[in-house]
Amino acid sequence: MTAPTAFRQQLLTTIPRLRRYARSLVFDASLADDLVQTALERALAHWHQFDQRRDILVWVISIAHNAHMDERRRHARFSVVEPDALQDGPDALHAAVPDPGLRMDLVAALARISVEQREPLLLVTLEQLSYAECAEVLHIPIGTVMSRISRGRAALRALLDGHAPSPAGTRNLRRVV
Amino acid sequence: MNTAFNDLPLDTKLSAWLDDELTPEQRAEVDAWLRDHPDDTARVRLWAADRDALQARLSPALDEPVPTRLEQIVWTHAPVEAPSGWLRVAAMAALFVFGGALGAGLMWGWQDRAATSRAASGWVQRAAVAHAVYVPEVRHPVEVGVVGANAIDSRAQEDHLARWLTKRLDVPVKLFDLRAQGYELVGGRLLPDAAGPSAQLMYQRIGEPAAPRVTVYLRRPDSATPAAFRYERQGELGMFYWVEGPAGYALIGALPREQLLAMAEAIYRQGQN
Repeated sequence: MTAPTAFRQQLLTTIPRLRRYARSLVFDASLADDLVQTALERALAHWHQFDQRRDILVWVISIAHNAHMDERRRHARFSVVEPDALQDGPDALHAAVPDPGLRMDLVAALARISVEQREPLLLVTLEQLSYAECAEVLHIPIGTVMSRISRGRAALRALLDGHAPSPAGTRNLRRVV
Repeated sequence: MNTAFNDLPLDTKLSAWLDDELTPEQRAEVDAWLRDHPDDTARVRLWAADRDALQARLSPALDEPVPTRLEQIVWTHAPVEAPSGWLRVAAMAALFVFGGALGAGLMWGWQDRAATSRAASGWVQRAAVAHAVYVPEVRHPVEVGVVGANAIDSRAQEDHLARWLTKRLDVPVKLFDLRAQGYELVGGRLLPDAAGPSAQLMYQRIGEPAAPRVTVYLRRPDSATPAAFRYERQGELGMFYWVEGPAGYALIGALPREQLLAMAEAIYRQGQN
């Protein structure tokens, strides 16, 4: 059975926020839209699993998150900008890597924090999800959400201040969760 | 979160404080800490500034037009297994034979039919979409809320909301009283309609904020011709809509027809006075 019209309409309303979120995951606009497309297709294929009492945006974002993780596993180089990858390659984000001590552009800094910290930070600050919703989307405990967000915040701030994100001054940020 | 709160690193507590994720007791504890520790306060302010900067930087994506291909996927996607084997191949071949233009025409025709059901005109559809978008919002269901700290406060906010929407819509906006039907006003917001602004008023069940909410959509009608009450159902959602005097009304909610009808009648009566 195909998805009912009312569901399709609901899904349509999520596209702008889904695109914004996807772009904060993969940065490249057209790759982000590919991710949105995958998420929409999966949502439509599994529409009957959606519980109408829930927020459809949270549901679709969690599908996008899963799709993104699958994609990362499939191709190691799927445009996820990890700190190591920033050493080489010609794209704009790489060009933004500053000399130590230089203030960094916000988006470039965001790209430099690990996806494990970036995702919960964005879900809460940008998409305004609660910690509980965030834990549900990412399939991690709330305690982990809390500590990853706070570490993500500190890492982002350190980069914006022109410090490398990890060592001094972040004792309690090094604890592995 | 409660049990181990005291064991959490300071940054985690401060971060949860900023995200408004603490119980009142935990919040008071962090408030007290921040009063005595200006350095930490400054740090949290920077985090808040980063949060605002991220929103400002990434949100323009929301205003970009949605690519047609994404919208078409939503309208045309069907399970892969449905039209199977030769039927599917034949359908694809037919599309090629008739050519891209005709294919696209068919697709759009289908989409139009799917998007606008029998009777509802465009604005009723927009009212339904606005309902679907804002009703699940937990934190920001309305732009202007009317739930104040006390009755006088609430009253002042209601006046403000009614005046603001009336001014922007160029239609006298009344905040309908549905308490007799068991629903209270949460607040309202201004929305874009095809020709100009429209307004959405949101109501929740008294004493049961988690129950399905109801919205009233108001706009200037395309023509001043009064139109009779119409009822339509889309899945769970029921809607009544009509045009009366200077305003078009749509009442939308996941409620049985009789219950919605009682509210629609109350709104109609109150609109007359």
